[in-house]
Amino acid sequence: MISQFYILSPRGDVIIRKDYLGDVPRTSSETFFRNAKFWKEGDGEAPPVFNVDGVTYLHIKEGGVQLVATTRANLSPSFVLEFLRRICTIVKDYCGFLSEDAIRKNVVLVYELLDEVVDYGFPQNTATEALKQFVVNEPTVVAPAYYQAKPLFSLSKGPTGVFKSVLETTRTDGKRRDEIFVDVVERITCTFNASGYIASAQVDGAVQIKSYLAGNPPIKIKLNDDLLIGKRDAPYGVSDSSSNGHMVVLDDCNFHEVANLDSFDVDRTISLVPPDGEFALMNYRTSHGFKPPFRLQASVERDPNSDVKANLTLRLWCEVPSDKAASGLEVEVPTPRYVQRVHCDLESSSAGGGAGGG
Amino acid sequence: MSDGKYFSTTKRGEIHELKEELRSLDRPKKKDAVKKVIAAMTVGKDVSMLFPDVVNCMQTDDLELKKLVYLYLINYAKTQPDLAIMAVNTFVKDSQDPNPLIRALAVRTMGCIRVDKITEYLCDPLQRCLKDDDPYVRKTAAVCVAKLYDINPELVEDRGFLDMLREMLSDANPMVVANALAALQEIQELASSGGKDLLQMTTQTLNKLLAALNECTEWGQVFILDSLAAYDTRDPRDAEKIAERVLPRLQHVNSAVVLSAVKVILRCMDVVALGPGGGEDTIRAWCKKMAPPLVTLLASEPEVQYVALRNINLIVQRRPAILANEVKVFFCKYNDPLYVKMEKLEIMIRLASDKNIDQVLLELKEYAQEVDVDFVRKSVRAIGRCAVALEKATERCINVLLELIQTKVSYVVQEAIIVIKDIFRRYPNQYESIIATLCDNLDSLDEPEAKSSMVWIIGEYAERIDNADELLEAFLETFPEETSMVQLQLLTATVKLFLKKPTESAQKMISAVLSCATTETDNPDLRDRAYIYWRLLSTDPEAAKDVVLAEKPVIADDSSTLDPSLLEQLVSRHLATVAAVYHRPPETFVSRQRLAVTRAEELGSRKFDEEDGTVPGAMVSDNNMAAAAGAAAAAVASSVGDLLDLSDATPAPPPAPAAAAGLGAAVPPQQPPAARGLDDLLGGLDIGGGAPAASSSVPAAAPAAAVGSSDPFASFGSGSASGAAGVAAAGAAGAAAGGLSAAALSQLPVLLSNPGGVSVQGRLVRQGGQVVYQLALRNDTAAPVDGLMIQTNRNSFGLSPASQVLVLSTPGGGSAVPPSSLVPVRVPLLVDAGKVTPPPLSTALQVALRTNQVGVLYFNDSVPLSALTEENGTMEAADFLAAWKALPPETSARLPLAVPSAESAKQRLAAANLFVLAHRQVPATGQDAIYATCRISAGGVGQVLLELKFVAGAGGVDVSVKAERQDVAQLVFDGLPAVLLGSA
Repeated sequence: MISQFYILSPRGDVIIRKDYLGDVPRTSSETFFRNAKFWKEGDGEAPPVFNVDGVTYLHIKEGGVQLVATTRANLSPSFVLEFLRRICTIVKDYCGFLSEDAIRKNVVLVYELLDEVVDYGFPQNTATEALKQFVVNEPTVVAPAYYQAKPLFSLSKGPTGVFKSVLETTRTDGKRRDEIFVDVVERITCTFNASGYIASAQVDGAVQIKSYLAGNPPIKIKLNDDLLIGKRDAPYGVSDSSSNGHMVVLDDCNFHEVANLDSFDVDRTISLVPPDGEFALMNYRTSHGFKPPFRLQASVERDPNSDVKANLTLRLWCEVPSDKAASGLEVEVPTPRYVQRVHCDLESSSAGGGAGGG
Repeated sequence: MSDGKYFSTTKRGEIHELKEELRSLDRPKKKDAVKKVIAAMTVGKDVSMLFPDVVNCMQTDDLELKKLVYLYLINYAKTQPDLAIMAVNTFVKDSQDPNPLIRALAVRTMGCIRVDKITEYLCDPLQRCLKDDDPYVRKTAAVCVAKLYDINPELVEDRGFLDMLREMLSDANPMVVANALAALQEIQELASSGGKDLLQMTTQTLNKLLAALNECTEWGQVFILDSLAAYDTRDPRDAEKIAERVLPRLQHVNSAVVLSAVKVILRCMDVVALGPGGGEDTIRAWCKKMAPPLVTLLASEPEVQYVALRNINLIVQRRPAILANEVKVFFCKYNDPLYVKMEKLEIMIRLASDKNIDQVLLELKEYAQEVDVDFVRKSVRAIGRCAVALEKATERCINVLLELIQTKVSYVVQEAIIVIKDIFRRYPNQYESIIATLCDNLDSLDEPEAKSSMVWIIGEYAERIDNADELLEAFLETFPEETSMVQLQLLTATVKLFLKKPTESAQKMISAVLSCATTETDNPDLRDRAYIYWRLLSTDPEAAKDVVLAEKPVIADDSSTLDPSLLEQLVSRHLATVAAVYHRPPETFVSRQRLAVTRAEELGSRKFDEEDGTVPGAMVSDNNMAAAAGAAAAAVASSVGDLLDLSDATPAPPPAPAAAAGLGAAVPPQQPPAARGLDDLLGGLDIGGGAPAASSSVPAAAPAAAVGSSDPFASFGSGSASGAAGVAAAGAAGAAAGGLSAAALSQLPVLLSNPGGVSVQGRLVRQGGQVVYQLALRNDTAAPVDGLMIQTNRNSFGLSPASQVLVLSTPGGGSAVPPSSLVPVRVPLLVDAGKVTPPPLSTALQVALRTNQVGVLYFNDSVPLSALTEENGTMEAADFLAAWKALPPETSARLPLAVPSAESAKQRLAAANLFVLAHRQVPATGQDAIYATCRISAGGVGQVLLELKFVAGAGGVDVSVKAERQDVAQLVFDGLPAVLLGSA
């Protein structure tokens, strides 16, 4: 099982440390930080699972901190990684936000949670809901100093903008607010070829729920009727895209265990008793029948005035309806190694932004 | 109130202040103080001196304060064991508290305090809590059993906690079931040296676990799935039942549940395949259901994706059908981390088929134009590997490679040339038309591997390249500065050129190269190879042609294919574990005996022969690796030496006869098979570095890379036979000289097989009242192996070598095993009472053999019965009868043997020092009954009485054994077949 668990700050300081089995030396956090920071093979990142001197290190990064588990056993790595991910969610649910600052301000609460969630390296009940009855500490909710919208290319899926501890739902002082947030978060991966046409496109989406409802009333969520789920409704493949042009086709999806799907196949209704805190009700992916919110066209020309210069023109169309705005947009242009200097011009009509280094 | 402020005080006198506050009667103040202490503890400050004060706060009914104190206790109890005793009373009291939270808290915390003194007080509260009414307390207590086992296993067994855990598997609460199961699994792992099956999985437990599967938390589901995967069933119906219950788990959001479920289903498939009709339809249906969840895993976070991809890599090798149509989902996304991209590439290559190759090539071509150099290189290599694997697509692959070469990006061109060389070796004489394009890009080559590949191509196709001599000459200008890899290739290519086109310029080049390589270089490989060529060319150019221009075996792409047995092991046993991520068997990185860090010093001082368990796997693998590397290096050096001795026709020094015997027949060039033999030797030399290293199953081995660098084909592991024929002949010759007949030697069972290294054959026999190890060492390396020492691990009979230093029976009486030979060794063993392991008896014997050249070799043997029975072990018939009555009841078994006649049985028993005292026939059943006895004093076994009943000529012998020790019976049952069948 898990021998140790710790949370490291971006500088490698230990913020939280738990030692369960006592078979890995205390200095392992330094070993980990050194190896993860200067990964030996090339300049890539350290893989999430690696072994140094017989100790296996498993780690994820979230909110600027690293969560690390060590073990000497041959256990299931996805088990540990999923568990680390789950700890992130619990910390977020109880402290409102996950960051170095938030953890430092809630050290005792985090320890208390960890004691309930892991015993001797075995994960226990990790449902935010179930943990409430064991927790006696009060959270210190830290709203982040400044909240920056997650860049589009951020890999983490999750609802944004709510920083509230689930413990507030048990308050009886009248300040309590019963709220539930349902977000549909989609991660779109598109490749445009040189002429601006889509070469490949995929959507990984999730219906994320953050619930602060006291008493956990049952709720129903209805999805649109014209939803067709490939592997579920047509296990032998969707015939062709033209015949279901008006349908929303998902390739595959899965549901959280609280979801009751009894009538899902009939009228696309999911009934559930939402547990407290954040969870993904449904994950899905699709690869056809959608329009990306942006289109991109790139062209490279030699500069007629110079032998050593080239002009890269990027044309970005935003297809988001005009009453909505896309914020936090970043464009990253990787350049070959031999590029020495980059100069960036934005046409006057576009909003601000800075040139990145090359 | 925020905890942040607790971190801020760093004034002096802080400890004193805290002490005051802890003694305060004001509860909030007290609580604050404890919080400060914990904050200080977290950042690594030593606050252990506050132990008594903090423990004093423990007696409180404030749950929050109690928790804080417990947190502190867990951290410091180890360093303050005497003070920790102070806390015991409160623990015991708390474990009877009316509040279940406090009961559980007490049990949980007690178990975390790894202080021996506390454990005895732990038992009674634990026993109570295991039977508690509250499931929360029960599940906490279940984990506590595992904690206690780690500290004091005997205590757990004595108190019957294991049985209680097993009972808990049928608890009504799924959380309790999951924890009990997890605790049992953990204990099983800790106790694995005993090999007992703690879980004792029955159909009944199986049904309970299957029932609990749906109710458990996701973590509990993984525990249950893992134990289902470990459940060994042979019944296809059982397997189908399990799979049906597990299939819905594939839809779970937790990737760990999905992967563990996949593992169970794959195991069930193997069982179903044994059933009637091979269960083809069932398997196909299951495969179909497995694909979408596996694909869905690729939509999760990159960390989870990485783990999934490493597993999928194995699954695809074992059951390609599952994902055959899904290659598209493995296409890399722009923002995948590098480690994910690399794994996806691997899988794309595996899934590439004639059907989807166009799509795959289009992707790979895109990747080859990205900015990340490592990724680009790997993509170009991937194109080459597709070409080697798919014959029909080769042309298309080559076209893509040519297009990439046109980009003129230096590292792309170089990588492309390397893979084109591989393609040439796979499809000789088919695609030479592209050589011209390659030759246009010589200027951009600056990496050794690319250079040597290009040089190889020029040499190999010298007759088709008009200006081959000019091209080579250009390379030769920098000959002295090149790396040895390029130098070696240049040397060979020049010789090839000379043999193919013996023009004047070629002659000039060859003499320049040879003189440079023989006189001006420090590199022995290069110098020796140059000498071989020189002598070959000056002795017999025709023979040289046969040798140098011999047809090469076609290569196959196995650069990342796992050894089938390893793959089988990884897929069926270790899927969804860390082993499946590393693609290495767990023994190589898991140290079975888990020891607390506090016991680390003990661990360091443990020696091999003192350790109870098996030899740690990692140690073995490292040694093997070193052995392979050492052997390879030696092979290169000394096979050349032997060749030179031979052509000088001087009387050969001791190590030479071996090689001479192998080569004696091999020299005359007019005999084609013999020429092959020589070629093989050269092949061994040529590829020497690559072959043994590539065959080691551990990927990315540093030694492999280092040694393989001299060989441009190392990446394709073009394993050569390394002159096996020559070695065999030489081995026989050496053996004959050693006294034991060659035939007898070759009949010795193989104990350790190390092709290309040192192998061991041997058997334990009884000679002159002594146990003797008859060993034969085969040295397949090309250098003498000396410094031989032998040692045995502790064993049931205390067998230990009389002298650790081996005395070889070589002709010259030397202390080294000459290369390519088989040398017999006789090792008398003594019984050393100090090395006897406690019961039960086991015939297992672990032996370590130390050499100077190839490190320590380990092998396992079993002690045959006939080696143990003593010559004077008989007794009077009357005593036998008396003893038979006096001894405890006999143990009986039926051995599936056919004994031809009672007489032969008696003879064979007597020959093995099993003295027959009586023989009678039972007329009623037609059976023969033989009564025999033997004595084994080794290991304190004592006198053994036997009764054998059988029908001559028919199968089956009923054996009853009586002895002081009950565990002797199994020893006899195991040993008798060999005795009765006369193979001993």
